[in-house]
Amino acid sequence: MKRYGEHRFPGRLFVVEGIDGSGKSTQLMLLHQWLKSEGYGVVFSEWNSSLVVKDTTKRGKKKKLLTPATFCLIHATDFADRMERNIIPLLKAGAIVLCDRYIYTAFARDIARGLDPAWVRELYSFAVKPTGAFYFRVPLEVSITRLHAARNGFKYYEAGLDLGMTEDPDESFRLFQGRIVEEYEKIVPEFGLNVIDATLPIETQQEQMRELVISKLERAKQLRVAP
Amino acid sequence: MKTTNGVTLPGMELSDLVGKLIVIEGTDGVGRSTQIALLKEWLEQKGHAVLDTGLSRSGLVGKGIKRAKEGHTLGRITLTLFYGTDFSDRLEHEIVPALRAGFVVLTDRYIYSLIARAIVRGLDPEWVRKVYSFAIKPDAVFYLKIGVDDLIPRVVFTRGFDYWESGMDVYTTEDMYESFRRYQTSMLEQFDHLAEEYKFKVIDATPEPRKIFEKLRAGITKVLEGEAHRQAPDSPVIAVPTAAAMPAVPVPAPTPITSASRIMHKTPEAEPGEERATASPAKPKSEPVAEADAKSEVAR
Repeated sequence: MKRYGEHRFPGRLFVVEGIDGSGKSTQLMLLHQWLKSEGYGVVFSEWNSSLVVKDTTKRGKKKKLLTPATFCLIHATDFADRMERNIIPLLKAGAIVLCDRYIYTAFARDIARGLDPAWVRELYSFAVKPTGAFYFRVPLEVSITRLHAARNGFKYYEAGLDLGMTEDPDESFRLFQGRIVEEYEKIVPEFGLNVIDATLPIETQQEQMRELVISKLERAKQLRVAP
Repeated sequence: MKTTNGVTLPGMELSDLVGKLIVIEGTDGVGRSTQIALLKEWLEQKGHAVLDTGLSRSGLVGKGIKRAKEGHTLGRITLTLFYGTDFSDRLEHEIVPALRAGFVVLTDRYIYSLIARAIVRGLDPEWVRKVYSFAIKPDAVFYLKIGVDDLIPRVVFTRGFDYWESGMDVYTTEDMYESFRRYQTSMLEQFDHLAEEYKFKVIDATPEPRKIFEKLRAGITKVLEGEAHRQAPDSPVIAVPTAAAMPAVPVPAPTPITSASRIMHKTPEAEPGEERATASPAKPKSEPVAEADAKSEVAR
């Protein structure tokens, strides 16, 4: 079993991270459009979990059967499934793979739920190290305002209501996201995530993203023409 | 006090787990379930409340794993983590509550089988051990040891070879016999390493079941007596029936409910309609006694 960082595949992997409402999905979509127009073999990893794993996760959430530990492990199972059946084959085939959220989401979320930081990192050590990872840094208030406009009400686990900090979903969400941001800030230097200021204009953020991505693509192009 | 193999899960209080965690390990077809049935009956007759549980029986994941195995669809890392989820669910929702309530928890395999399976499938041994480092250390692990040459006839003449027990997902051969031999040989090798590392009590699984049962019974008695001596030095030592005195059917000598007994006073939570491990029946009628006993235990 290869561990994080040991993989050498011809493809490239770019991931975006950040709390909900940071605008990371919009930025990834724009990056996707651009790479396509440039003629790269790019795939947006839209993952449909294996039915058995998906059903278990769904049932666990619906019936509120999940503890922090089983929440963490069932998501790690789902991620492993995605890694083994989707991301690694794509990277082997030389694709540029784009992921909306990656292992850092799991680190931040699970550690915010009280799991041991070193253990969670070890758990995910089978993951491929991304070619480039972006963290969209945004003040909590800004993201919450954006989210309120976009949807009504937070889900049970999403708001961290399982932690029993408060019964008010909005308040719980705020507290939980606050903890997640704290964890993200530790992850950024440790794993060398590229920080993008998510309060800047969308166009500026996209320029910064493209600049970094293009610097990592030169060899990908060459690889595509070489045997 | 109970400890884990390194990591403690959030909210898992270990200080009040007064029950005993006893693991029966061994490869496929070695006779674990026969022994567990005998042990459960014997322990209950001695007055211990018993929870017997095993792999892939969690309310959360048990059915999912069965379905995944039917379709052979999951990758090796995915399957390992799916088992890990199942284990965590059982640990938190069955094993820990039962230990807290003073049960003897008899588990048909534990993390060791899961570790062995994952390593035989090529996963990093260090990674697998760390994944399961949140497991509670058992009070004893009894390993029913058998060689592959003794194992094969047992399996062939009873239920036949099973896809997973033959490691058909591991080897490319179409030959199930050959695959079973290779897979089980690798599994037994892993068990030998684990036996040393985790200090298993090794029991030869080749004699007839009664002999194995006697050895297990003696081993478990020691585990339970150790506790009795520590808690109540004046209590009479529980007599263990000798091999010669044992009737053909497991009817252990009637032992009064002594201070060493651990009686259930709380049923572990079970999801309605879910497949959970079977807890000891007939508890309601003994409830008042159980409560009193539990209190006196605390008083001591």
